[in-house]
Amino acid sequence: MRRILSIVASRLLQLLIMVSVLSFVTFGLMKFTPGDPIRDLLKVDDVIATKADEEKLKKEYGFDQPILVQYGHWILNVMQFDLGESIISKRPVMEMILSRLPATIALTIGGMVVLFLIAIPFGTLGAAYEARWPDFISRWLAMLGASIPSFWLGLLLIYFFSLKLNLLPVMGKGTLAHFVLPSITLGIAMAPMYIRLLRERLISTLQSSYIEAARARGLSKERILFFHALRGSLIPLITMFGLSIGSLLGGITVIEILFSWPGMGELIVNSVKQRDYPVIQGYILIVGFLVVITNLIVDLLYLVVNPQIKQGKESV
Amino acid sequence: MVKNSLISIQDLRITSKSAEKVLVSNVNLEIEKGEIVGLIGESGSGKSLTARAVMRLVSPDMKVSGKILYKGTDLLTTTPREHRHILGRKIGMIFQDYRGSFTPFIKIGNQMIETIRTHDKMSGNEAKNIALTVLEEMGLESRRVYNSYSFQLSGGQVQRAAIAMSLALKPDLIICDEMTTALDVMNSERVLHYIDYIRQNTGCSILMITHDLTLAYKRTDRIYVMSQGEIVEEGLPEQIRCHHKHPYTKKLCSCLLSLPEAESLQQKRVYLV
Amino acid sequence: MVPVLMKDITFKLLRDPTMRTGIFLAVFLVGGTVLGGMLVPHDPFQINMNNRLQGASFEHWLGTDQLGRDVFSRIVYGAKLTIGLSIFAIMIAVIIGVPIGLFTGFIGGKIDAFLMRIVDGILSFPDFILAIAIAGMLGPNLTNVILAIVLVRWIVYARVVRGLVLAEKEKEYVLVSKVSFSSTFKTIRMHLLPQVIPDIIVMAAIDVGKVILLISAFSYIGIGAQPPIPEWGAMLNEGRTYFQVVPSLMIYPGLAIMLIVLCCNLLGDGLKNYFDIRKRRG
Repeated sequence: MRRILSIVASRLLQLLIMVSVLSFVTFGLMKFTPGDPIRDLLKVDDVIATKADEEKLKKEYGFDQPILVQYGHWILNVMQFDLGESIISKRPVMEMILSRLPATIALTIGGMVVLFLIAIPFGTLGAAYEARWPDFISRWLAMLGASIPSFWLGLLLIYFFSLKLNLLPVMGKGTLAHFVLPSITLGIAMAPMYIRLLRERLISTLQSSYIEAARARGLSKERILFFHALRGSLIPLITMFGLSIGSLLGGITVIEILFSWPGMGELIVNSVKQRDYPVIQGYILIVGFLVVITNLIVDLLYLVVNPQIKQGKESV
Repeated sequence: MVKNSLISIQDLRITSKSAEKVLVSNVNLEIEKGEIVGLIGESGSGKSLTARAVMRLVSPDMKVSGKILYKGTDLLTTTPREHRHILGRKIGMIFQDYRGSFTPFIKIGNQMIETIRTHDKMSGNEAKNIALTVLEEMGLESRRVYNSYSFQLSGGQVQRAAIAMSLALKPDLIICDEMTTALDVMNSERVLHYIDYIRQNTGCSILMITHDLTLAYKRTDRIYVMSQGEIVEEGLPEQIRCHHKHPYTKKLCSCLLSLPEAESLQQKRVYLV
Repeated sequence: MVPVLMKDITFKLLRDPTMRTGIFLAVFLVGGTVLGGMLVPHDPFQINMNNRLQGASFEHWLGTDQLGRDVFSRIVYGAKLTIGLSIFAIMIAVIIGVPIGLFTGFIGGKIDAFLMRIVDGILSFPDFILAIAIAGMLGPNLTNVILAIVLVRWIVYARVVRGLVLAEKEKEYVLVSKVSFSSTFKTIRMHLLPQVIPDIIVMAAIDVGKVILLISAFSYIGIGAQPPIPEWGAMLNEGRTYFQVVPSLMIYPGLAIMLIVLCCNLLGDGLKNYFDIRKRRG
């Protein structure tokens, strides 16, 4: 119980530091940015910008006040779960982002399924046949996968499966079929890291003394691999997921744009193009929150999966 | 040569492929049925490697030649399948590192059932009964150990559970590789007591690999002395202790600070017979 | 002496198959770019509407795009641009990050602990999204993307170097240097810097590939290089609507990205083997 509390406390501290640093950076950048959001806004609305209009809008968004006051104001609102409203659509930022969250989570889950379907067989193959041809293939696949741009991979998949073979719809969201290509793209983009990690962990597990003992008991090769070695090597993958949730949220952005998937990534890119500052700031905050929460869940999950840590013994 | 030997290692030679180094050479070793044989030598002398060759646990980087005959079959040339069948079923092994005796995240009971059912076709319940019986025989709280992970038990308990596991399959030979080195004195004595117990009840042979001379004198019927990958001397414990010929054995014995009294040695042998 | 040493190093490098493949790929890519640029000197920006969406020909090796521009010339131009910018970005990140890592790691204390708390806070945040946000705040164009990448990447170098210094500074030779009244600066330069250089080289080689991926991804989603700049990701974005008719517009820029990133990864892994760096960095 004390372990759980200390984990939660350290993650909360991380969240606090992260959010304050990031909000400070984004606020600072906004202040020193050469473009002026108010001018941009006036340009967008196609209104003839008069000095009076500009002043009025600045007042409306509080941009006429000193930056620290603006910052303090924003932080106070954040604490009440109010992220302000979009300059463009005038809708509350919180609502805008949260309405996109389910689509992103769905794609993440789809991507994870594909990821594990790829990473577990290839990682296992690589370790079980270390330095022989299956290992060679798995290493080269990981190398190629790490080098291929995910959006290009997505384009190729669209070209072959949607345009040439006419098997799957190109873009959008709705049916299960729309779900397939984005998930595959995301899964392949994430897989190389996991293949490498699983292969390395499995190789070192296969040399450990308990595997030797299992062999000395006459258990079959397959049984040792799947029941004794693989199980222990899968646990680090959970940690890896926690560590890579950030790069996943980044990578998913490109894939959402590519497939016109209505998730958070699509929202942020469009907001960046329109320089919709409140949305960008709110998005950063929510991503930070998601990263920390995921890591917290991973920490707690780790506690459950690995009985040794539950006992307070972290050796072996 | 001994005729009725259970296992006979002939001209065993192990070389490292990459370093082109001879690790073990000219090893000839016989174990009769029901015998406790000691294999002593300092660490790095090749005694563990010899045992590993029997279990086919040497790394693929090493080349093994010679013969390891188990009841006439050469263990170096059998198919992996046949070899696996002999492992565990006929030859059990207990390791020095007790933390590595069982897979850490699978309960001991489940691993015992897994092993028993790998070798003998039987239902899970039957296997469980056997597992509980042998754990009981090793003086353990059978139900608790059965439901534990290895790290929840003490070193001595884990080693006794490992012995129980081999016992469950009634093997002909148990190889104990420095099994008590990582344990304290009390636990060592207890574990060794159960090894004696097994031998008396099942008549199996035991190959005791150790660098502990006292232990070898007290517990074994015959001793092989190994140094730098070769067997330099062989004989009864008294011979090795008092009438050794090889300079290495002499050095080894002179290093020993306190030898057990001759009487206690005598007593031990009476007890064993 | 020197020629012998060079020969030794070359031999050792070429013995590793990963390194060998990487070097051959690099030679092939650089050679192709230089030779091709000399043989077919088209202006990558020259629009020719009479010559749109042509297939491959002797004049246009990889055909022309939707505005009649020569695809090969654009890819070659894009190669110089993207590779140049990535190397530049990483160099700046190294120049900022490494000294900071060396000094904070060596001096330690409260400032170090405080800085690292902040760094860890930032590092657990996705760098791609931070770069999006920075680029978004500053305005979506190529310069700001590079700026954003530098702002994010230097932290990683500082963190890694600091870690290496912490492990290294308790070792005997550094302590000896410390007690023999060498200045802090001299100790760092003489003893610690040489220790971290191999790690930096390996990391930088792999990072150049990562940055190329990042720049092209940014350009593809429309917040990096803007048309008509022939950045590969921007080319893919521009030609998006014509893929069904002329798939080569999609194939070549993507292939170019993949090959160059593969080359960086191979060289990075090869160098890792060469310097025998294992598990010092996750």
